[in-house]
Amino acid sequence: MDWVLLAIVLGLYLVAAGGFVAYLATARERLRTLAPQLLAAAAVIHGLEIAGRSFMLGHIAVATFEEGLSFLAFSLAILYLLLDRTNALAVLGAVITPLIAMLMAMSLVVSSGATELPPALRSAWLPVHVTLAFLGNAVFALAFAASLVYVFEDNRLKAKRPGRRRLLPSLERLDDLNHRLLSWGFPLLTLGIVSGAIWAHFAWGRFWSWEAREIWSGVTWSLYAVLLHGRSVGWRGRRAATLTIFGFAVLLVSFVSVNVFFPGRHGGSFGS
Amino acid sequence: MSPRKLWLVGVSHHSAPVALRERLALDDAAAAEVGQRLLRQVPGLDECALVSTCNRVEVIGFGDPAASDPTSIVGALQNGRPLGDDQLRSHVYVHEDRAAVRHLFRVASSLDSLVVGEPQILGQVKAFYEAAVRAGTAGAILHRVFHKAFSAAKRVRSETGIGGRNVSVSSVAVELAMQIFESLSEKTALMIGAGKMAELAARHFRDRGIGGLMFANRTFDRGVELARELHGTPVPFEELGRYLPMADVVIGSTAATEFLLTEAQVQEALRLRGYRPTFLIDLGVPRNFDPRINDLRNVYLYDIDDLESVIGENREERGREAARAEEIVSAEVESFWRWFENLEVVPTIVGLRDKAERIRRRELDRTLGALKHLGDEERKSIEAMAEAIVNKLLHEPIARLKRVQGPDDEAVLMARRLFGLDDLDDDD
Repeated sequence: MDWVLLAIVLGLYLVAAGGFVAYLATARERLRTLAPQLLAAAAVIHGLEIAGRSFMLGHIAVATFEEGLSFLAFSLAILYLLLDRTNALAVLGAVITPLIAMLMAMSLVVSSGATELPPALRSAWLPVHVTLAFLGNAVFALAFAASLVYVFEDNRLKAKRPGRRRLLPSLERLDDLNHRLLSWGFPLLTLGIVSGAIWAHFAWGRFWSWEAREIWSGVTWSLYAVLLHGRSVGWRGRRAATLTIFGFAVLLVSFVSVNVFFPGRHGGSFGS
Repeated sequence: MSPRKLWLVGVSHHSAPVALRERLALDDAAAAEVGQRLLRQVPGLDECALVSTCNRVEVIGFGDPAASDPTSIVGALQNGRPLGDDQLRSHVYVHEDRAAVRHLFRVASSLDSLVVGEPQILGQVKAFYEAAVRAGTAGAILHRVFHKAFSAAKRVRSETGIGGRNVSVSSVAVELAMQIFESLSEKTALMIGAGKMAELAARHFRDRGIGGLMFANRTFDRGVELARELHGTPVPFEELGRYLPMADVVIGSTAATEFLLTEAQVQEALRLRGYRPTFLIDLGVPRNFDPRINDLRNVYLYDIDDLESVIGENREERGREAARAEEIVSAEVESFWRWFENLEVVPTIVGLRDKAERIRRRELDRTLGALKHLGDEERKSIEAMAEAIVNKLLHEPIARLKRVQGPDDEAVLMARRLFGLDDLDDDD
């Protein structure tokens, strides 16, 4: 049942992604309105599925890898829809929606059924920690999308082959968006880590236990800290974009590899 | 009834020199008056409307084909400003039927404009149509033609990028700047050199709201002069290095034989301005800026060849978009034409049915009146038989009429004549 629902959600995400890409290719206004509507429809069903599942489990449904992927896809969809106002941002939609669909497909592939959450971890800190952490990741994903478009456009301008001006935001706007997203994502990530530490303190009596996920989080955090600081010394434009892409790659690799190869407390089998 | 036609008579920038067009040009009020006069003077003309801009004067009409004789129409157009008939007639074009509709659709969609894709024409056509409506010269047919022309134009505007491509050096330079900067209002442009090209570019940037303009020229006075004219600031040529970090856009157009700006100079300026993006436009031949500057981070250097190649791409793009626009126009013309044809065919079918129905009723009344002794059952059978005979007889002709190609198709004319549909007195 859930599986069918999620497959429908995935299908809608894929169609929305196709809509965004087709809009960029054809500039048809109908696609510009249709694509976000499809994305919104998918997000609504997706949200209901997550809410229903959380209700059945008795805690927010992010305990397993598949749930984590699904929740990340959902956060991204919501965040993009909040930002989707102007024409120029549709290009971000064309990057973000395929990413959402990919996360969703991965979630379906690794699907293994629900896991019981050990009693020690049932705490109000669970929703706080994961919401902050996932929102932070989603904001970084958007910054990544903006940076990808920046690098693409920068390459075209340097190569003297500018594209359709109407559909692409200006470099300045993308750079500005990137900066603002990082300034939102960084505090979210920080709070996510801090809340995780507090939760860990209550659950196991330790703030930090040097497990793989925690180390990777530390690495990602430092990377974004350096990047944010770098802006004040002229790391803007292309360099900021390249580093944002790199930062997100690290984030994604850590998110996936930790769950697949080092399943500690963050990787699905809690309490091991 | 002889079939009525849609036709269009006109002169445009394609067919006539401005010296002739300007003598025919009218404003919308005058055009409406001419329309009213045409309706009075031209026999068999049912509807007409004029469209007149600096590039064209056109009359579209609906009525008897004899009325589309260009001499009589053009005679009315001259409006007390007589021209030699021969002189005029060689410049006039006449379109009929579909071609007339297509022509109007193309005009409204800006496909027939001097600058294809320019946006003003649709508003002009609308104003002239509204004048014709107020003057009462446009009727049901022209309402439909014009409304379809407007919707074709809107589709062309929204579905193709026909108007969105710049094809001059200055406008492409501004277009590129807008791709780098979100808004020009807080940006500063530095003009090095004061040639014609630089002046034109400066004007374009000012028109698009650039925040500040600085002028550096070897002869300081010329820089001062330009700065005053374009509300900018003159800066000393010898101190370029001091002003370079302030400039977001740098335009070079001097005749210098050596590079005015080297990679190292721009690198230093970049460092001082915190690597905020810089757009350099080199209009000089030989080039004013070292091409290696383009390799610096967040710097975009376009020389005159680069700009020309963007213009070339824009032209090609315009061509492709124009082809798509023509397809849209064709589809809209066909859709209008189907409606228009049925308009002529449908009355024939309705007339035929009407006539058969009248005959059936009359004959039934007469027969049944004479056979008063029949029961209900028998009466019903006779009525059913009469109806069946009429339907069977008309089935073929009506099916064929529905398939005909146009209002003046022989079958339509033949049907009207054979069945006497245009005869005034009813037959017995």
